[in-house]
Amino acid sequence: MQVLKGVSFELGEGEVKVVFGPSGSGKSTLLRCINMLSPPDKGEVYLRGQNIKAPEVNINEMRARIGMVFQHFNLFAHLKAIDNVSIGLRRVKGFPKEEAREKALEVLDSVKMDEWADRYPAELSGGQQQRVGIARALAMDPDVILFDEPTSALDPELIGEVLQVMLDLAKSGTTMIVVTHEMGFAKAVASEMIFLGEGVIIERGTPEHFFISPKSERVQNFLQQLDVLYGSHEKLLK
Amino acid sequence: MIIQDRPNPIGELLIVLEYWDHIFAGFLLTMWLYVWALMMGFFLGLILANLRQYGGWFLSRISTGYIEFIRGTPLLAQLFFIYFLPSSLNIPVGDWKIETSFIILNKDITIILLDYRTLAGLLALGLNSAAYQAEYFRGAIISVGTGQLMAAQSIGMSRIAGIRHIVLPQALRRVIPAWSNEAAYLPKYTVVVYFIGVKDLFSQAHRTVAFTFISLTTYVLIAIIFLVTITLISKGLDILHKKTMIPGL
Repeated sequence: MQVLKGVSFELGEGEVKVVFGPSGSGKSTLLRCINMLSPPDKGEVYLRGQNIKAPEVNINEMRARIGMVFQHFNLFAHLKAIDNVSIGLRRVKGFPKEEAREKALEVLDSVKMDEWADRYPAELSGGQQQRVGIARALAMDPDVILFDEPTSALDPELIGEVLQVMLDLAKSGTTMIVVTHEMGFAKAVASEMIFLGEGVIIERGTPEHFFISPKSERVQNFLQQLDVLYGSHEKLLK
Repeated sequence: MIIQDRPNPIGELLIVLEYWDHIFAGFLLTMWLYVWALMMGFFLGLILANLRQYGGWFLSRISTGYIEFIRGTPLLAQLFFIYFLPSSLNIPVGDWKIETSFIILNKDITIILLDYRTLAGLLALGLNSAAYQAEYFRGAIISVGTGQLMAAQSIGMSRIAGIRHIVLPQALRRVIPAWSNEAAYLPKYTVVVYFIGVKDLFSQAHRTVAFTFISLTTYVLIAIIFLVTITLISKGLDILHKKTMIPGL
């Protein structure tokens, strides 16, 4: 089954791309194609000019440069928060134990999770787990981070803390591709938004474009439904 | 008038216990077989489970074929197959053995650790146990979920490293309750080696009966030895399970 058809875009340094659209439209597949967790049958992905599908490229090295944050966090259940963050440094980047720990603590501090460093994932709330998930991706100093609906599995009162971390990251110049329906986040930091439907780009543009004058009826209807769920976007535009 | 001798269980037990050195030697040999077969089954089973789960088209079919073949044929048949295979191919098995002796309470106890028969028994038990253990491991690997391996790969770990450092540590914790089945079954399966002349616990019991003509008491004693041993093993695994539990889960 062909999931994505002719989806093509460029992402510049420090840009935030927000991808949204109905479920089944291929948003998660798109992200998994980018880091080759689901290698695309056709098409290419370039990271800083390097085709990551090229045969001479070590895909593991490429993935270390493409962070990923999952909808269901996917923290390593048998490792403490700190070890979730440091394991990549140790096993992939070859950091000595102590250095990896120091760096992991720094990164946990940046997502305000340093106090919880010695907790296991199952001992943390969803919002805390997701912040560790973000820290795990951040620790590798990736060129870009992919977010796959990072807040959609969270209780409403936990969404804010995760979005705040993501906002801080975006503002500090982190290059991000974010699949989300958090339109407030999109409005605040997206350099471009892409509406995906049935595997094709139906409409793309700036947040202003989408919230003031979306062209296609599909997008208008979709945004209206989000309005019903989360309140009007008029407020967000101020 | 017919005078019927009432069986006296205590008296019988005392007679049987005069052969305690035989029974003890048999017990040690049974445990020796058990530990090695369980370990062989563990490592081979782990390999089979990983091949079946991650091995790709060809290797996973090989692994599945092996597992189904072993589970679908009798252990005794597998034992005889291994035991008789060399001689039917005219391969000399040699008359060699490694044994150990020690003296306890003035009784000389000798155990054959390894000879051709014991080796055949060990192989049959280990190869058989591997197939069953593989399915326990595979179940646990599946229960860990694909998201863990995906996350491992997303930070740049290779598939193998992800399996080794992320999936297996969790799968091995999860497998303990189900796997304890195999740990509890295997000591009893070892009795099949009696048929190829290995002097295990069951075979020593049989010998004791031949000397004393007291069968019921002897076999009940053997059953109790198994019961106590396996209860201890189960309890040990239960403690291991609790100790290795991931906090919060």
